Amino acid sequence: MIIGIWCLYRDKEPAWRLFIPFLIVTVLVEMFGIYLREMHRPNFMIYNVFLVVECIVQNYFFYHLYKTYHNTRKLLIGWLIIFAVAYFAELIKNHFGAYVSQTSTLMSVELILASVYFYYLLIREERSRQLSAYAPFWWVNGTICFYFAGIASNLFFTYLVQDQRYGVSGSARYIVFSILNIILYFSWSYAFICRYRQRTSS
Amino acid sequence: MQISSKDLILIIGLASAIFLIAPVSLIIYVMQYNNRKKRHEKEKEWLRTNFENELLKSQIEVQEQTMQNIAGNLHDNIGQLLSLTVVTLSTIDTAEPARVNQKVNSASELAKRAIKELRQLSRLIYGQELLNMGLSQAIAFELDYLRNADLHTITFNSNYHSLEGYYDKEIILFRTFQEILNNTVRHAEATAIDVLIEQSEKELAVMVKDNGKGFDEEKVTKEKKGLGLFNIRRRITLIGGDVSITSQNGTEINIVIPYF
Repeated sequence: MIIGIWCLYRDKEPAWRLFIPFLIVTVLVEMFGIYLREMHRPNFMIYNVFLVVECIVQNYFFYHLYKTYHNTRKLLIGWLIIFAVAYFAELIKNHFGAYVSQTSTLMSVELILASVYFYYLLIREERSRQLSAYAPFWWVNGTICFYFAGIASNLFFTYLVQDQRYGVSGSARYIVFSILNIILYFSWSYAFICRYRQRTSS
Repeated sequence: MQISSKDLILIIGLASAIFLIAPVSLIIYVMQYNNRKKRHEKEKEWLRTNFENELLKSQIEVQEQTMQNIAGNLHDNIGQLLSLTVVTLSTIDTAEPARVNQKVNSASELAKRAIKELRQLSRLIYGQELLNMGLSQAIAFELDYLRNADLHTITFNSNYHSLEGYYDKEIILFRTFQEILNNTVRHAEATAIDVLIEQSEKELAVMVKDNGKGFDEEKVTKEKKGLGLFNIRRRITLIGGDVSITSQNGTEINIVIPYF
């Protein structure tokens, strides 16, 4: 978050600057989630709300990345409708009493496909790029790694939360997601630094 | 069957690791593909620079060839004619009025021939500009100049019509033609030269055939005398064409380049 604020607060692209409030919200949500857990109160609802924010920000950013190649506004709107339907259907199915893990998995799959599509566009374009310093590439790298491996954990999630006898379900998922978070934020931080360098050198 | 907590952590860890392998492989693939693209771009850039260098060299060589022709013509023809005119005029003796008229006429004839030669020469200087009008005209002028020497029977046939945007290819092809013609004049001891330009839908073929003594390409190349031949092949390859040389009862050189 600190790297994000430092590198992006003067960025000329609103899509990149959007990460500053997004990362602040992420930190606040995580802190509040941990606080609720410590208080032995359910914290799924705050993560359910955050999933909507996450979906909108990530997909808007992908939309911004694709804009270099072509307009995908219809694709974005289409996906957001699908997401809304799945999200509320699962919420109603759970009687607003559990985390929307299936919608989360669906969103992960969609973000993976979006990342793959970005790679496809990158490969298809005629010119080559200095990928080691190309901010969108590193942002997508972090995103695809996080959601791809996150799916594995999410698929086990329903099973794990039921399997309380072992007392390890929560911690196992916690460890996996901690590692994935490190990969994600390391990659994103590097993307922000690339963006900062690009801005200051131009 | 119950799964122990240790196994559970192992399963989750392994599943996550396996799921990480796929995106990492994808990222590596994209990076490698991008590197290949970068290499390809560099190669293309190198080829473009090479082509531009070759084009410039060809243009300079065409100019040099023209200058050589001009120098030769000035020395061998116009210079001689003007010297003869001077000699003729200097031998006029006013004491012999009967021969004065004859000598003046003779000097006048020589001067007229010199003027004709000069006109021919100016056409030759203009010849390199003719490439702007098309390859066929430039080759025709080159052959006209050779025809003046009266050493060869020359035939030239062409169905060529210029296409726009092929000046680069044409200048390289024209320079190659000059090189071939030079070799024929210098080494072939030929009495007849046939030149044919055949344009088809997608190709342009130039054939230069002579009835000279011919040569062994392999031998010439081995003896390192074949720099001209090497240049011909290199240049034609550069514009995506092909050269075939047949040397039997004379020499036939066929050049085919893509032209559409």
